[in-house]
Amino acid sequence: MAQASAALGAAGPEAARGAGRRSWPPRQRKGSAVQSEAELLLPVWLSRLVVVLVLIAVLVPLGYMLLMSFTPNYDVAAGVVSFAVLTAQNYVSMWSTAPLAQGLVNTLIIAGTSAALSVAVALMAAYPLTRFAFRGRHGYLYTLIGVQTIPGTTLLLPLFAVFSWVQTTVSVHMIGTYFPIILTYMTFGVPLSTWLLVAYMRTVPRDLDEAALVDGCSQLGALARVIFPVMLPAVVVAFLFAFLVGWNDVLFASVFTNQNTQTLAIALERFSANSEEGGLPVYGQLMSSAVVSAAPVVIIYLIFQRYLVHGLAAGSVTG
Amino acid sequence: MTAPVKAPPGPLAKSYTAARPGEGPAVGSWWAQATRKWRDRPLWMLIPATAALVIIVLVPTAITVWLSLLNVNVHTLHEWLGAPFYGLQNFVNAFTQPSTLGVTLGWSIFVSFAFSLLTTLVITPIGMLAAFSVHRRFRGRGIVRAIYLIPYTIPTFVTALTARVVFLNGSGLVDKILGGLGITNGQTYWLIGPHAYWAMQLTEIWATWPFIYLMTLAGLQAIPKEHYEASALDGASKAQRIRHVIIPELSGVLKLAMLLSTIFHFGNFTLAFVMFGSPPPPGAEVLPIAAYYNAFTFFNFGDAAAIAVVTMVILMVPAYIYMRSTRLAGGLN
Repeated sequence: MAQASAALGAAGPEAARGAGRRSWPPRQRKGSAVQSEAELLLPVWLSRLVVVLVLIAVLVPLGYMLLMSFTPNYDVAAGVVSFAVLTAQNYVSMWSTAPLAQGLVNTLIIAGTSAALSVAVALMAAYPLTRFAFRGRHGYLYTLIGVQTIPGTTLLLPLFAVFSWVQTTVSVHMIGTYFPIILTYMTFGVPLSTWLLVAYMRTVPRDLDEAALVDGCSQLGALARVIFPVMLPAVVVAFLFAFLVGWNDVLFASVFTNQNTQTLAIALERFSANSEEGGLPVYGQLMSSAVVSAAPVVIIYLIFQRYLVHGLAAGSVTG
Repeated sequence: MTAPVKAPPGPLAKSYTAARPGEGPAVGSWWAQATRKWRDRPLWMLIPATAALVIIVLVPTAITVWLSLLNVNVHTLHEWLGAPFYGLQNFVNAFTQPSTLGVTLGWSIFVSFAFSLLTTLVITPIGMLAAFSVHRRFRGRGIVRAIYLIPYTIPTFVTALTARVVFLNGSGLVDKILGGLGITNGQTYWLIGPHAYWAMQLTEIWATWPFIYLMTLAGLQAIPKEHYEASALDGASKAQRIRHVIIPELSGVLKLAMLLSTIFHFGNFTLAFVMFGSPPPPGAEVLPIAAYYNAFTFFNFGDAAAIAVVTMVILMVPAYIYMRSTRLAGGLN
């Protein structure tokens, strides 16, 4: 599932390692003097050198990108990027140069809906996967991992063909509407969401849902009213990962959407392609749009850093 | 919010919920048994996820495999699944005849392998060193860790777009730095021609090393403190400790991280698609790009399906290792 699933594949199985531990992700333990000596993996000078070099490698391109976004178009094209000629004009005019606002709204609708559906579907799947022993349960979980490694380019053409086929057979408009793209992203979010939720749901005591069942809830009711609220942290993480599938994808959106439903990624991709073909190098505005497209994701990651990183990394810890 | 009452409260409710699989009495009509099973063992909750995965992933995968054996082109597209059977001819064509892009399938496989393996090879030491460097506590560590994360969090299409401007011939940052240092004359065409591969390679390295960093960090945190302490008390040097304690403890996580990282790089469509003009230069003709252009620009559906199938088959090896290495939690039982 191409780049969209970078995060998807990354996290698979087995989050919260210590079953029964309720703090998720686990906090780092505070260390004593001996421990901080033990934490010193590299000599201090080397450690500092690595930090400085990595920060330079990360921050110079980032800073340059920000600087370009505040530089007039023609200066960027000519390579005259300095602190001398800064202007916020790009951030104003880019909205009328390219349909970015429309792309942003479409992305929010598509990624938001698909992520919410994805989490709902995964939550329903996680319940029987954690609460009941049945034949093929482990096989099901393994299949979810395997599915994530199927490349997106394998699915794109037949999906397009299937949606077109439905379109002509039932004469319902499909390609270009929200429906196929939401359905696709929703499905791509399911494997990771299910794994994250299964890992978390295992730590939720069964007494909780059994109490709800005794009180007369149906199984679905127990899931929705009792387990869901307790699982909120994991649900948020699963939602964010599923949301990023839609925010970051180019492959499927480039084929399934049209000018009215195109996502931000596609609006930006077309903007960049057109600005080059048209001979109008609006690089400054291109960079300001790039900053605006990246900022929400970067900020979300930094806010939810502890949770997302844990979901991503601990998700693939093996024995 | 009141729960819908399905069973009357009291002792009766107890008997409803106590019915665990196999324990409940097999009484009543088959219909009563079926509904009780439906209620007590709601395996039907798996239906939405299963249906979505079957319709959106498994069926299309099967269709691609079938299409790769058919002679599907613009003329036979209207009868696509019933197009003339072609055997392995699509694969032969893809391997022997250059596509409209001017490259063969063999070339794309080569580029994809080089791209994914080289990326993993380069980012692994970077990511490990970065993780080691922030394992020690120091003032501002939180900020450094946050900054380390940023390249990985930026959406690939934004990274690619920025790379497109940073690698501009003459006026881009890369040419200005290289020209300023006197390494080149500052006039390199990075986005077309033979240098394109390296521009793409460098961008991927910049954007993805934090994945290894994150996995290493997670691995480091999972090492019991006693192991660090024991080696510190034994008087092991730092180099010895890294070699004999840390690396062995990390090897599981690292192997998995390298495997996953290679799978992602192999499937990276967005970077090459957004970073270069259309059509992309030969150095950027990775497998996903080849499949995409064959299908949606040149309408060689058979070739596209063949390329997609080859991609999938290649990825089956690491995917299988990944699935095997994934430890299903013991607590699941």
